[in-house]
Amino acid sequence: MKPKRTIHQVFAIAKTDFLGITRNRTAIFFTLLFPLFFLIIIGFTFGSQSTGETSRIHAGIVNLDEKMVDVNGTVSQNNTIGDAFVQALKDTNFTVYEYGAYGDKDSNGTAAYDISRGQIKIAIVIPENFTEALSFQYIDSLGMPIPTKIKLDLYTDPSDPTGSIIAQQSILGFISGFIKHYQEIAINQLPESFQDYAEVLANPVTISTSEADVSGRQLRWIDYLVPGTLGLVLLWSGLNHASVAIAGERTKGTFQRMVIAPVSPITVLAGKVISCLAIVYLSAIIMLATGILLFQANLYWNIPAIVLSIFLGALSSIGIGLIISSLAKNVEAADAITVLISVPLQFFIGAFFPLSIMPEPAQIFGEALPFTKLVYAMQDIMTKNLPFEAVIPEILYMSISGVILFTLGIITYRLSLKRL
Amino acid sequence: MNLSDIEVDSVTKRFGDIVAVDSVSINVARGELFGLLGPNGAGKSTLTKMLCGIMSPTSGAIKVGGYNIHKNPMKVKELLGVVPQDIVLYDYLNARENLAFFGKLYGLSGDKLRNRTEELLKITQLDEKAVKRHISTYSGGMKRRVNIAVALLHEPQVMLLDEPTVGLDPKNKLALWKIIKTLHKEGKTIVLTTHMMDEAEELCNQVAIMDKGNIIALGNPRQLIKKVKMENTITVVPTKITPKLMEVVKKVSGVKKSYKAYDENEKIETLKIITERAEDILPDIVSGISSVGIKILSVELSRVTLEDVFILLTGRSLTEEEEQS
Repeated sequence: MKPKRTIHQVFAIAKTDFLGITRNRTAIFFTLLFPLFFLIIIGFTFGSQSTGETSRIHAGIVNLDEKMVDVNGTVSQNNTIGDAFVQALKDTNFTVYEYGAYGDKDSNGTAAYDISRGQIKIAIVIPENFTEALSFQYIDSLGMPIPTKIKLDLYTDPSDPTGSIIAQQSILGFISGFIKHYQEIAINQLPESFQDYAEVLANPVTISTSEADVSGRQLRWIDYLVPGTLGLVLLWSGLNHASVAIAGERTKGTFQRMVIAPVSPITVLAGKVISCLAIVYLSAIIMLATGILLFQANLYWNIPAIVLSIFLGALSSIGIGLIISSLAKNVEAADAITVLISVPLQFFIGAFFPLSIMPEPAQIFGEALPFTKLVYAMQDIMTKNLPFEAVIPEILYMSISGVILFTLGIITYRLSLKRL
Repeated sequence: MNLSDIEVDSVTKRFGDIVAVDSVSINVARGELFGLLGPNGAGKSTLTKMLCGIMSPTSGAIKVGGYNIHKNPMKVKELLGVVPQDIVLYDYLNARENLAFFGKLYGLSGDKLRNRTEELLKITQLDEKAVKRHISTYSGGMKRRVNIAVALLHEPQVMLLDEPTVGLDPKNKLALWKIIKTLHKEGKTIVLTTHMMDEAEELCNQVAIMDKGNIIALGNPRQLIKKVKMENTITVVPTKITPKLMEVVKKVSGVKKSYKAYDENEKIETLKIITERAEDILPDIVSGISSVGIKILSVELSRVTLEDVFILLTGRSLTEEEEQS
């Protein structure tokens, strides 16, 4: 076989295959634009948020502090601290809904009613004597203040455990801050010589929490999301196209016509693989360009590492695609199998949601996928600006899985030639 | 001595217990237009696939242009031009792009590819506007012509045409026959697979009739017809064909065989009666049909065709075979 002729054949097959995508609107959508569709939807929904955003937490508050209570035998109506609590909650940027009563799930206008309808994730009930207790208005017969503890009631939505846990943790954090502020005011009321002791008793341990510097700048969700979507590119552009590449030709009969010509089946395969890689890189460029131009994603660029990682990840997706393409009876069957595989897989690769929020078996499964490794590698390089050495474990994993899956793809492809 | 371009020597192909091609031997001389006939499932497609080299025989040997197909597959592929039964073109490319793509597969490039593409576009008789349109917008006849042109790109010595006129209207069918005759005149060796006996009679100078994996007749179409020693066929078009009618006709003295057939041109069912003395038995046939209360729309006496030869050899009509398959 003449090498020059073989190279011409490979590129002719690759070019024709590539034109098959670019001249077919349905193929353009499913192969190139489907991952973009996800990026745009999720980018517009969450992309601009930083990790400490609380406005998405909808909290209800029932402030009973404004009601009249019996204090030392006289009626008192003092809601100063309760109002301050509500205002502080609003200032902390929670989305706050105020109610007159906690009520029940059937009473419209109450906090319980809105929890049952998913309007709020958590409700805080401030007791009637909130201000009176915290300002030491309860006194004994000698006129000495009676220490009176107050209790805040929190109600969460059991139908959304994840959302409720996030809301509960955020509200507990807020309450902790509010109590600390109250303690400072109370301690300042004490004689100066007792203030230091009281300070230690009130706060024996102080905690300082801040976001670690992982990239040298303030990160937004979109900065993680955009590199992560390259994992989707492997699923939708790589796997999807590779799975129909041979099956489509076989169904149309063009595959038979190619191998009737003086073209070896490996030449056909090489052309198809080049076309798949071109589509994967084109799709990756579209995703990254959209992330930068539309969402102003702030990314770091180590081009050789990015190109290499995508190539190694693509070997796995093309390998799986070849297996499907070779085993499927026709292009429709190949298409159906690919959708069955890639739709669920995209939720396990850590592109949209961190694997850490998933059940353990799902985490183990997700961690085993080469596409997840590409997502990690891309986030490490493009978001955290880590050096190439930091992603060597991911690179090695993708190399091994890529070689295994691609080899299996070639074996299945060769076996399928017997079915012509 | 005639030089053979295709030599099929005791070729058998088995799929498990099924014998698709059973020890078939054929020699096709250089410049011959050879017809491979038979109903669906006769083994024609399997034999054609083995001739193309995309399927290996279980036993036996095939040579094309003197080269063994399994020892020199690339050499054989360069000698062969194959026109598949289905339209095998890229819908999203235009005629010129399709020809250029397949030309590159056959090793053509540069000016040679451009010149050959333009030459073949003339054969397809497509105007410049049509040439620039995607194949998906073409009529069946236009697609068929491009389908043939692709097989001619590398100027092959041997051509395999697999049912090239299936689904074409009479006008396009005649146009394609003209192209096949031109190729034959140019000295190409052509193997034409067809189940249309009229096509084989019109085009081929040698035919092999296949049935159930075997060759049941081989030779010149005229000689085959002479061999069966029949003079003619009566074709009757009744208002309907019932089992009772078939029974009555079968019992008429002098009727050698009778069967239902479908006239593809007229799109009607006909009753064919094979006999050695058509004129003598015609009155008995007419009265027999009338006796079962069925009217006759037309009666025609015709010469024996290859289809009649097939029926005589197998006891079945091609139409019956296709209905069953």
